[in-house]
Amino acid sequence: MNGDRRSLRQRLFEPESLERQAPVPKFMTYVLLVFWSLVVLVPLYWVLITSFKQSGDVDNGPFYIPFVDFTPSLHAWDFMLLQNNTLGPYINSIVAALGSTVVGVVVGALAAYALVRTRLEVKLATVVTFLLLLAATVAAVVTLGVPWPIALGSAVVIFILAVFTLTHRARLALGNRDIEFWIISNRIMPPIVAVLPIYIMFQQLRLLDTQLALVATYAAVNLPIVVWLTRDFFAAIPVDLEESAEIDGASKFRVFFTIALPLVRSGLVATFLLVLILAWNEYLLALFLTNANAQTMPVLVSAQNTTRGPQWWNMSVLIVVMIAPVVVIATVLQKHIARGLLVGAVKG
Amino acid sequence: MTAFAETAVDTVPRPGWGERLDRHAGRLMVLPAVVILLCFAIFPLIISAYLALSRFALAPGGFTLKFIGLGNFRKLLTGSQQYHFLGTFGAFGPVAWGLVALAAIALLYCMARYLRGGSVTVVGIVGRLISVSLTMGLVLVAVATLATSGVPGTLVTTLLYVVIGVSVQFLLGLGLALLCAQPIRGRNFFRVLYFVPLMVTPVGIAYTFRMLADMQKGPFAPLVRSFGVGEWSWATEAWSARLMVLVGDTWQWTPFMFIVLLAAIENQPRDQVEAARIDGAGGLQIFRDITWPAIAPVAGTVVLIRLIEAFKIIDLPNVLTGGGPGLATESMTLHAFIAWRTQDLGASAAVGYMLLFVSTVVCITFFNFVVRPSRRLES
Amino acid sequence: MRHLLAGASALCLLGGMGIAQAAGEFDGVTVNVMTQTGAIQEPLQRRAPEFEALTGAKINVIAVPFSDLYQKILTDWASGTNSVDAAVFAPQWMVDYIAGGYLEDLTARVEADPAIEQDDVGAFFRDFSEKYAGSIYMITLDGDFHMMYYRKDLLEEAGLEVPRTWDEYLEVAKALHGKDMNGDGTPDFGSCIAKKRNAQSYWFVMDVVGSMTQSKGTSQGAFFNTADMTPLVDNEGFRKALDFLSESTKYGPPDELNLDVSDTRPLFASGRCALNLDWGDVGTISIDPVNSKVIGKWGAAIMPGSTEVVNWETGELEACTADNCPYAIDGVNHAPFAAFGGWGGGINAAADDKVKDAAFAYFSYMTQPAQSNQDVTVGGTGFNPYRTSQLSFSDLWKNAGMTEEEAAVYLGAINDSMNSPNMILDLRIPQNQKYQQVVLDEAISRFLAGEIDKEATVQAVANGWNELNDEIGVDEQLEIYRATIGAN
Repeated sequence: MNGDRRSLRQRLFEPESLERQAPVPKFMTYVLLVFWSLVVLVPLYWVLITSFKQSGDVDNGPFYIPFVDFTPSLHAWDFMLLQNNTLGPYINSIVAALGSTVVGVVVGALAAYALVRTRLEVKLATVVTFLLLLAATVAAVVTLGVPWPIALGSAVVIFILAVFTLTHRARLALGNRDIEFWIISNRIMPPIVAVLPIYIMFQQLRLLDTQLALVATYAAVNLPIVVWLTRDFFAAIPVDLEESAEIDGASKFRVFFTIALPLVRSGLVATFLLVLILAWNEYLLALFLTNANAQTMPVLVSAQNTTRGPQWWNMSVLIVVMIAPVVVIATVLQKHIARGLLVGAVKG
Repeated sequence: MTAFAETAVDTVPRPGWGERLDRHAGRLMVLPAVVILLCFAIFPLIISAYLALSRFALAPGGFTLKFIGLGNFRKLLTGSQQYHFLGTFGAFGPVAWGLVALAAIALLYCMARYLRGGSVTVVGIVGRLISVSLTMGLVLVAVATLATSGVPGTLVTTLLYVVIGVSVQFLLGLGLALLCAQPIRGRNFFRVLYFVPLMVTPVGIAYTFRMLADMQKGPFAPLVRSFGVGEWSWATEAWSARLMVLVGDTWQWTPFMFIVLLAAIENQPRDQVEAARIDGAGGLQIFRDITWPAIAPVAGTVVLIRLIEAFKIIDLPNVLTGGGPGLATESMTLHAFIAWRTQDLGASAAVGYMLLFVSTVVCITFFNFVVRPSRRLES
Repeated sequence: MRHLLAGASALCLLGGMGIAQAAGEFDGVTVNVMTQTGAIQEPLQRRAPEFEALTGAKINVIAVPFSDLYQKILTDWASGTNSVDAAVFAPQWMVDYIAGGYLEDLTARVEADPAIEQDDVGAFFRDFSEKYAGSIYMITLDGDFHMMYYRKDLLEEAGLEVPRTWDEYLEVAKALHGKDMNGDGTPDFGSCIAKKRNAQSYWFVMDVVGSMTQSKGTSQGAFFNTADMTPLVDNEGFRKALDFLSESTKYGPPDELNLDVSDTRPLFASGRCALNLDWGDVGTISIDPVNSKVIGKWGAAIMPGSTEVVNWETGELEACTADNCPYAIDGVNHAPFAAFGGWGGGINAAADDKVKDAAFAYFSYMTQPAQSNQDVTVGGTGFNPYRTSQLSFSDLWKNAGMTEEEAAVYLGAINDSMNSPNMILDLRIPQNQKYQQVVLDEAISRFLAGEIDKEATVQAVANGWNELNDEIGVDEQLEIYRATIGAN
């Protein structure tokens, strides 16, 4: 296929080689890509310039370009970063997001590894016993007013007794697949169903309005996603290495940390980032579980809607400072994300 | 842990602590996850179940919970809150009947095909019956409120967000991924840029779109006014308000679809594509025969992940419209949230349970009848 | 400037201290005070360091968005968490907090604290907002009424009178709608009323309804028939109010159904509305030299009224006579709505005694004229005047940037409302949030969105309220309702 001998139509619409695009499709591709870039950028641009506006620039607007149709001002940045206590919520957000992600990924990856590499079995009778005991405990506490530590303690004792005496004789059992399905299906639960009991739980433990409460809750909420994704990373790596290490006498835990984990690095990074983003942006649970001390950034953003009008400029500053670090992290880790998410999603 | 492992090496014949630990390693590894989920999912669900069956009231020194059985659910499904949850039903016309009949035929066909397929099990039949009857119920409610003079309630509104939102996001994400997979310059730039909306907190997105969509001082206001519709606002009409919620949701979640699908496309068998090109196959043909089968399992999973999240939508409608105009944009989570805000804890938990039920059945149905077959397609 | 004033006042106070607070009295005591973000939060937070310097008590202001405040406080107290020692909130919610026994009775403390100058507090707040069943539970920090705001310049230009009735309101709105009111070349709006769902729209409904259902004085009541708790909904007055709402929407901003007061306030201040219904905040926002474009061009008046009132027996509208409208002014029955009745501070009964004392001292400090007189003149505080001494023109208002003429109109409107014997009291029965924020708000929003017609709206509200009465107990509700409005 020599370019010179091709007709005009061919030259415009048919690619010269497999590695390249013909001019017209190429042009269309760029038009569409640039169009979507604008769709992404315009809202971000608007937030960015709004953070430099004063109330007049917003109320009498729209004004589009700083220095041209309005004079940018740093008042909102000055207010949010220097006068207002933004640092506190910012640190809370970082602790809650990072902490919960680390806990979630470690616990989730451990569980996923066990589900893939070992044979697990839970007797159905154990599960039923457990649920009945839990219901009885709740009923005893709520309706009969039994103090919860007593109710919980006796339930635990009964449960252990039951497990060692009765239920291990039962035949029907749940296997790896069932446990896995149960863990993942927890993600379907809408937070609004669980939030009030979680509130009561932390209140009883005197942990309301602490970073620890958020770390634990977010880790729990995101755990199913971690298991879902990481399970397949482990399934995808060849089992020989681990087996030979085990023959050499290494324990399962050691194999997990020294051999399996490093092999699924990309996948872990992708999972880590996804879960981090979910935790970083969470609003509903934070609204319920925090007051002053552990308030996070999303709550602070929504708090800028005051009875004097939404403080758009303050809100914009907060949104900008919230996006910035995540964008940097995502850019740096970009390669891992693509590769990591792929493995997880292929096997689902 | 290392110490345990080393002792295990030295004392192979005698089962020491390390070995015992190792024998139960699988259980120990799952245990933390199970305990966390029991505390944060199963325990709350049981408490919520109790709340959903009772009426909360303040009393001196605390509060009381009065057990009222299924009262809260009855109120939502057949009682005074039916218009809120299910919607106001209109009279069925020919179109509505036609749609219902179509859905019924399709579902019966699926059922019949399964029954004649040979591998029938009890679990399979029960599961299918649940899926089919819920789907039929949802179709009936949707038709009764949308295809007639009726008004949809929060259930149908949520389904609209889920169905329309996820489909649009999937198609957009797929389209963009296909474009980005072309041999063009700046691919990495686009890839990073398109990923950004996912990182903005939904509350922030909601406020951002309120700014952008402002008909008086938003950036598009002069443009809209020049079309002579300055006296109109999206916020006052049901469909335009819902559309605005969907626009915000799509802006945020298309990147998720995009990034995963792009990775899948780049991973498709290259040699097959090249062979097809040399044979003179067109782009559409290549997509149908090679790309789609290769990415179908990924597509199924990514839609499933998104389905699960889409049912929980609250921040966008809450900030953009507060659920208005009327009930037009109120999702089920927002419904439960508003009930909670006015100390109607029983109703709040009941709505939450309905949401849990609907989304569980829908997601599992989708998993069984779309995701699983798509994996078989691959192998 | 404000800091200077604050500093100066702190100094003055130091001089005259020793009555209520002693320096270092509360060293090491921390008080967690919860309130809404933005207005209200601002003065509480700004004055916290001053107070700490005076007494040693650290005031920790916790702010949550308005829409979550009621439930946040309730959840904290009802669950026994008690991380909130005191809160500044709307007195309407008091009844629910008292039902659970969470609020501290402050009667003795107020009586023992001369610095609070209780006699200077407006009679309405003293007798109603602060009290429940004869005891004081709250310290008023903010005066709240609904009023009507108008653009003096536009009315004069068009030769129109300030509207006195809802019909006149619509006429003026219609006449001025579409004019350019702030010189930016775009047409502006005849009327701005916050009609967003889950915001404040249900208050404005009651402004209109109340002027037709209540004419014989505050203790007649505007929400329920005091004989049997029948909702005053299925009548011509309520239907006329619905007509008013949909008609006024025609002269409002296109997205009026999605505006709450935080959107309409900047609209009025930027000169885009001819008429507006709101709390007192619009007055102080309109004199703000930085943001206001209507300085010197606005006025305020008592809420419009009606020349016809509802006969409770028949549900029909009847023309006002000396008999059925004893308080009518020029034949018009006004029923100004004490919506929210002024925010105030309440203290958690479960807090430590030392913390309670510190919280009380802080609220006392905030309400003492030295502090309050400044705060009520500043738009950003969200505090509106509530002391008699604040309701006449003085250097206070002059310093705040209000002309004598403006003050006469603004404070006059507040005085007219506050002194009206036919003022509407908030609905203060248990679970009032469900009556108003859920049933009423939802029905009105559906009506305005065209989901249901007028009749269906009337039925929705009437049935919804009856259902709640039945659930909670008609007799209990009736008794409490009669007690709160002082019905005989």
